[in-house]
Amino acid sequence: MAARIRPHRTLFTVAALALLLASAALGTPPRVQAADTPRHGGILLAVIGAEPPSLDPHQEGTFANIQLVAPCYSTLLQFDPLNFSKIIGDVATEWKFAPDGRTYTFKIRPGIRFHDGSTLTAADVKASYDKIISPPPGVGSFRKSSFTAIERVEAPDPGTVVFKLKFASASLLANLASPWNAIFPKKYLDQDPNYFKTHVVGSGPFKFKSYTHGSTFEGERNPDYFVKDRPYLDGYRFFISTETSVRAAAIRSGRAYIEFRDLPGPEVEAIRKQLGDKIVVQQTPVSAHWGISVNNNLKPFNDIRVRKALTLGLDRYTASRVLYPLNGLKLIGGLMRPGSEWEMPEAELQKLPGFGKDIEKSRAEARRLLAEAGYPNGLKVILKNRNIKLPYQDFAVFVIQEWRKIGVEAEHRPLETAAWFADGRDTGNFELIVFPPVEFMDDPDLWLGIYTSRDSRNWGRFSDLRVDDLFARQARTLDPVERRKLAHEIERIVLENAYYLPGLWWTRNLVHWAKVKNYVAPPNYYSNQKLQDVWLAED
Amino acid sequence: MSLQYPLVHETASASLAPRRTAGDVVVNFIRTKPVGAGGGLIILAMLVVALLANALAPYDPYQGDYALQFARPSAEHWLGTDEFGRDVLTRIMYGARIALFVGFAASFGGCTLGALLGVVSAYCGGRVELLLERLIDILLAFPQLILALAVASVLGPAVQTVVVAVAIPIVPRAARVVRSAALSVKENPYVEAVHALGAARRRVVLQHIIPNVMAPYIIILTAQLGSAILAEAALSYLGLGTAEPTPSWGLMLSGSAASYAEKAPWIAVFPGIAISLGVFGFNLFGDSLRDALDPKLRRG
Amino acid sequence: MRAYLVTRILLIVPTLLGVASLVFVIMRVIPGDVALLILGGDSGQIDRAQLAAMHHRLGLDQPLPVQFGTWLAGVLRFDFGTSLWTGRPVIEELLIRLPLSLELAVLATMVAVLISIPLGMLAAVRQDTWIDYVVRVISIGGLAIPSFWAGILVILFLVVFFGWGPPLVYTPPWVDPWANFQQMVWPVLTVGYRYAAVTSRMTRSTLLEVLREDYIRTAWAKGLREGEIVIRHALKNAMLPVITLIGTEFAFLIGGLIVTETVFTLNGVGRFVVDAVAHRDYPVVQALVFVIAFGFVIVNLLIDLTYAWFDPRIRYRVIR
Repeated sequence: MAARIRPHRTLFTVAALALLLASAALGTPPRVQAADTPRHGGILLAVIGAEPPSLDPHQEGTFANIQLVAPCYSTLLQFDPLNFSKIIGDVATEWKFAPDGRTYTFKIRPGIRFHDGSTLTAADVKASYDKIISPPPGVGSFRKSSFTAIERVEAPDPGTVVFKLKFASASLLANLASPWNAIFPKKYLDQDPNYFKTHVVGSGPFKFKSYTHGSTFEGERNPDYFVKDRPYLDGYRFFISTETSVRAAAIRSGRAYIEFRDLPGPEVEAIRKQLGDKIVVQQTPVSAHWGISVNNNLKPFNDIRVRKALTLGLDRYTASRVLYPLNGLKLIGGLMRPGSEWEMPEAELQKLPGFGKDIEKSRAEARRLLAEAGYPNGLKVILKNRNIKLPYQDFAVFVIQEWRKIGVEAEHRPLETAAWFADGRDTGNFELIVFPPVEFMDDPDLWLGIYTSRDSRNWGRFSDLRVDDLFARQARTLDPVERRKLAHEIERIVLENAYYLPGLWWTRNLVHWAKVKNYVAPPNYYSNQKLQDVWLAED
Repeated sequence: MSLQYPLVHETASASLAPRRTAGDVVVNFIRTKPVGAGGGLIILAMLVVALLANALAPYDPYQGDYALQFARPSAEHWLGTDEFGRDVLTRIMYGARIALFVGFAASFGGCTLGALLGVVSAYCGGRVELLLERLIDILLAFPQLILALAVASVLGPAVQTVVVAVAIPIVPRAARVVRSAALSVKENPYVEAVHALGAARRRVVLQHIIPNVMAPYIIILTAQLGSAILAEAALSYLGLGTAEPTPSWGLMLSGSAASYAEKAPWIAVFPGIAISLGVFGFNLFGDSLRDALDPKLRRG
Repeated sequence: MRAYLVTRILLIVPTLLGVASLVFVIMRVIPGDVALLILGGDSGQIDRAQLAAMHHRLGLDQPLPVQFGTWLAGVLRFDFGTSLWTGRPVIEELLIRLPLSLELAVLATMVAVLISIPLGMLAAVRQDTWIDYVVRVISIGGLAIPSFWAGILVILFLVVFFGWGPPLVYTPPWVDPWANFQQMVWPVLTVGYRYAAVTSRMTRSTLLEVLREDYIRTAWAKGLREGEIVIRHALKNAMLPVITLIGTEFAFLIGGLIVTETVFTLNGVGRFVVDAVAHRDYPVVQALVFVIAFGFVIVNLLIDLTYAWFDPRIRYRVIR
């Protein structure tokens, strides 16, 4: 049973016309779509694939953080748990913005209580966003750069929050719905801005119960949760296990009911064979993309002919066929997720280097370009990678096999994660490096910012002023049709110059026992972790 | 702990035994140590496969046939194909090269360096001994994984790196064993007498100590061959060994082999058998060799 | 004896100091930065100013000699500092994980001793017969199978054929012995078998050695029964090296639990080392290496003292 993800509704068409966008939720919980009647009670057991550095979602960027603590927190807005592409309210009940797109006003639901009994007010929202947007010295903020448009946040009264912007920002509402931007009680932030690295106090459907490092994280039902009759579960207990085969075995043996990230296809096949109907596999696309960053400053990669040859030498259509059964790398697309509202149409994509259907023609062209660039007898390159098998190493094995066919001999250098950062990506000490951008949503601000000159994630270290200019323009363009045009223009420039070598977009298998109801896997593994609507048909 | 390998006090007497030809030795070994001879046979088979991999292997170990991902064992692919459609038999054959190279290079390098340190330490005594002993203690007490990691990140993931990473932990062990053997020779009244008679120090070392530490050296060398191959596999499992797509047994066993264990058991089972069989062969041989070389255990 | 004891204990100091310096240097030579890892998350958004701020907060911007000195001074006060990754005291993190690893090591040792000594004896007494061959093949086989592979196969076998998987969390034996047993039995057997393989070989070879001694020949000549000779006379004398080996293997075991704990996802010291190294969590790695080395040195000291007690020549050699 694959969950179909509907294309984004065009949020901003509605917004531009109406100026007022009220949440469909407005105080009532999202409608439960499952046929059976929800059952109360039970503890949800899950396996989580990593351990986070800290518990503060503002300061972390790993799924391991958000999957553990999201059930304990509320956010200003949220992505609809049952329909990812829709933005609905969480602690905000309604919001409106001025015609110039520079003032957003949010009404805060009255009577929300934090787990310590205090009341959530606009001051807490402001304090939380102030910490995210301009953290005090010594405090990290992972998503600071998503809020460059914001001038200041105001809390004129306990029930109202106002965001004042320097310029209109098309991605603002989506960023405010980010699962990461939890609302913390102000009084603890005043005490210690790093308080939430080790403590969990929120207003979410579950209260923090216990955390054993390297082993378990537990939450229990919050009886005072502001949504009536939620959550259904009595609590949750998550086990941390970094070994994929162990997580798969835990699901098979019923020690855990759900794995929120991904299990490899062959493993899923085996689980299905053994457990049949007792298991549900939700296959979803993921906002994650495996490609190769090229160090544009190094010889010979500063030569467009060499870069173009490398991208022409990758047969993405065969890659999809070969890699999909191994690790889920499947979808062929440009720099924005295929299947999302931002995808580049196939006909347009096929005109770009490396996306042509006739691979022999592409290879001939690649060899010609290499010869022209001064490498008629081929080229030796070093491909750095992360030493994680799925999908990093599989992807590299395929790439190396492909490049042999155009006379490029690639030496594979898998590095541990720490070295992959510090002796590669972040220091520029690489020729070519496997690099997967992963995000919690599909907005162009997140996906195309990495190709601009100043961005810290521009690992290829190239600079194209046309890209910079287009990017700044699209970020301020509220009309989605116009914005899409600008975004595709950026894609075309990056791909035609082969500044970056895209590979494949990922799909994942979210595996859970059939008794886990009402969890709809989103096209990422960060959102929809609040679990307020999830219930267990049996223990 | 030096006692893991018996001290050789009486090896000097070995040279008094009547000379035997190499053929006699082999025949005798097979007759008295059939288990060890079995091990020798396995090693021999591995050597042949490794040396002739180019000629014997039916396919290219690096290039997969995408139409044949996860193909079952068949007449064309005796041991099936892996997730990229690469022939498992071919990769096992080429893998024998790496296993043998790592095994021999690491244990030879590690043992030789260790033996040198041991002899120098025993022979010089005094401050040199004190210093070398501390160095050996430090290496012994240090977790191997972290050493391996250091080597891997400095030298990059290649076969040579693995050799160094595997060889380092062998050094202190070999040094310990050889040193105690050398010490017992040095303190032998006969050697002390020779020394007292004014024989040059170098001559004492060359004539008496070196021949007498040969037996423990060979014993520990063969004993380490098997564990070196295993260490390579463990490093690969932890992601610190050789890099894909190198056909290494350790790599073939690690990674997602566990994920494929049900869908395509041959991908992981055959390299597993190869590695176990290889290590088994080396250990059998080494064990019997120890029995044969150690005079204390010699019959009669 | 006292002089020997004092010398030996004093010699521990340079060894531990050497280990401490080596780990300090190694961890800083290998590329990696805990701050990058923390700030990097899944997709890696690095703000240079934040990076510098974090380096400052973690004390990583101080000169290396200062960092080393601070750390060493802490160790002398039994203060191992705080983890850079979690921000919690290292000692606290260590105490969560130590009981599991100790239990695993102790149980594996017990299993190994129970299996290996009788088997090794049997093989020695019946040297070069089929019994000897079978015992040796079994024990050498134990050394030939990669332990991570064995672990993966065991887990897979149980889940495929019985739909059973081990519990995911450690329960101390005094809380729930049955849950503890379920989790520990397979890793203990996997480690214990390998360990038994080593010790049974040792038992066999030392016993063989002892059985050729003159006093055993005398015992035979006196017409004593075989069982009596082997157990009362030979085994007693052969045990010292075997116990030595068990001791050293135990010390190695604590350092070598890495693979086993990774395969069975046991939240023990071994996996903690792997994680800490992966995170470049310097204080944790330094503390763990120090503790492992300390344990190793102490076990070795005890062994050597035992020997020195029996053999005065050893005492002489060290003091001189």
